[in-house]
Amino acid sequence: MDSHKKICLGIESTAHTFGVGVLDFEGNVYSLVNDIFTPKEGGLHPVLVKEHHLNNFMITIKNALSKANCSIKDISLIAFSDSPGLGQVLKIGALIARMLSQILKIPIIGVNHCIAHIEIGRLMCNIEDPLTLYVSGGNTIVSAFESARYQIFGETLDLSIGNMLDSFARDAGLAHPGGPKIEKLAQKSNNYLELPYIVKGMDLSFSGLYTAAKRLIESEQYGKNYNLSDVAYSVQETCFAMLTEVTERALAHTEKKEVLLTGGVAANKRLQKMIEYICKEHNARFEVVPLKYAGDNGAMIGWTGILRYKMEGGQKLSDTFIKPKERMDQITVPWRD
Amino acid sequence: MDSNIMKEKIIHKGAEATLYYGSWFDKEVIFKYRIPKKYRIEELDKTIRNDRTLNEARALIRVKDYGLNVPQVYEIDTKNSIIVMKYIEGEKLRNALESLDNSRKEEIFKEIGRYIAILHMNGHIHGDITTSNIILTKNHKIFFIDFGLHEYSDSIEDKSVDLHLLKRILISTHGKDFNMCFNAFLRGYHQEYCKEATEECRQIIKNIDVIETRGRYVKKEERL
Repeated sequence: MDSHKKICLGIESTAHTFGVGVLDFEGNVYSLVNDIFTPKEGGLHPVLVKEHHLNNFMITIKNALSKANCSIKDISLIAFSDSPGLGQVLKIGALIARMLSQILKIPIIGVNHCIAHIEIGRLMCNIEDPLTLYVSGGNTIVSAFESARYQIFGETLDLSIGNMLDSFARDAGLAHPGGPKIEKLAQKSNNYLELPYIVKGMDLSFSGLYTAAKRLIESEQYGKNYNLSDVAYSVQETCFAMLTEVTERALAHTEKKEVLLTGGVAANKRLQKMIEYICKEHNARFEVVPLKYAGDNGAMIGWTGILRYKMEGGQKLSDTFIKPKERMDQITVPWRD
Repeated sequence: MDSNIMKEKIIHKGAEATLYYGSWFDKEVIFKYRIPKKYRIEELDKTIRNDRTLNEARALIRVKDYGLNVPQVYEIDTKNSIIVMKYIEGEKLRNALESLDNSRKEEIFKEIGRYIAILHMNGHIHGDITTSNIILTKNHKIFFIDFGLHEYSDSIEDKSVDLHLLKRILISTHGKDFNMCFNAFLRGYHQEYCKEATEECRQIIKNIDVIETRGRYVKKEERL
């Protein structure tokens, strides 16, 4: 590695992933190490996630540095996820970032996790001005850059898509994370069972769909007239069609020429196929963020930190508080104008 | 199709439907064709297209009774999901807004507010009030189009959601005019609605804020 290059260490700590990325100011990623908390049972309990991150952050940072072939002294900027996410978990990332910033006497900068997903997508896919469908365990957002902000054109009104899929999988006896298992099961069926399809303008609601799917597997008919594959297939077809519909609406409304699919659920092949279809219809370029960078990771935090740092410099330590409920459309994006 | 019925050219390709300009007997018309969406499975696709076509045609016919400017429906073909309706010459408000002066903008949004109030008072929810779904004609009339997500409801919640959608679109698409336009809209809405039910109107408008605070990532102190 070139020792004259300015290097940023990005720390992602909003939910189950403690991620560290090492990259330079030109956007070359030298390493990316994730340590993902997997619950033995149930969902993500914030206290357990927090403990996991606390126990593992040292080794994760060390691994990332050694993979990048650099020492902690080579780092010239610390970026961390300051919003949105689980408060307890955000605090860990912030704590580590502040500590490193003070010990190393280097600037620190907080980053919005949702914007980071879009920025790493723009970098990795070499895309200029996309409409983004960001689908994960915590978020379901259709966003595009307009009037100096990443505006939210559509979002879920209740559950996020990943949360809905995981919860349903858990009810069906599948272990966390349930999304990939549902995708596999769905491939075995083409027996569609009707489920609620709720689209309000460009917003979505998944809670009714979740309840209906849960009722299907609790029903007496379950195992007789239909099986888990059929329900998984119906759930996927319904919720992905909803997502695709609102994405298409937003695409027609914003007239963007590029579409970016990102977040953990972006890995789903069926969803990719559906979004790709509407992109062809609207002559828009379609890109899925490479899996490594689509899920939560430290590189995206680092890159977005670099973008802001170049415009505004670092933050005062006293300004580096966490904002668990911050919306992406509340934040200025000076590097995009 | 009959030789009296001709599709001439595509004038708009929306998210849901393709609009063809053409003639229907001696009339200038739009063919609104809800195209099959191959991304979703056929069972689901058929139900959605069929429901929305029928729903929209019914709504267009019914809301005319209240003096709203909407395209007249000439023919409904649910099998192929086509509505044949009168061609309205004009410009989408989304594109026209920029070039208007402020007093005209206010005037238009006040008028829109009045019309939406009339719809709501009569139990109609538009379902998709955006500046792309409103047309300004040359002789300054305001036309409402796209009733595909129309619903019947008397609930305060549904009416507030309808207004909330417009608010969101104004913020995201017409950011710098948002305050002026939305306030004018609310003035018109309030004025009209209060002719019949002042208290209900107050609740609907108040409930917009409640919906907002329900959204994701709203600061604790702003939550109710």
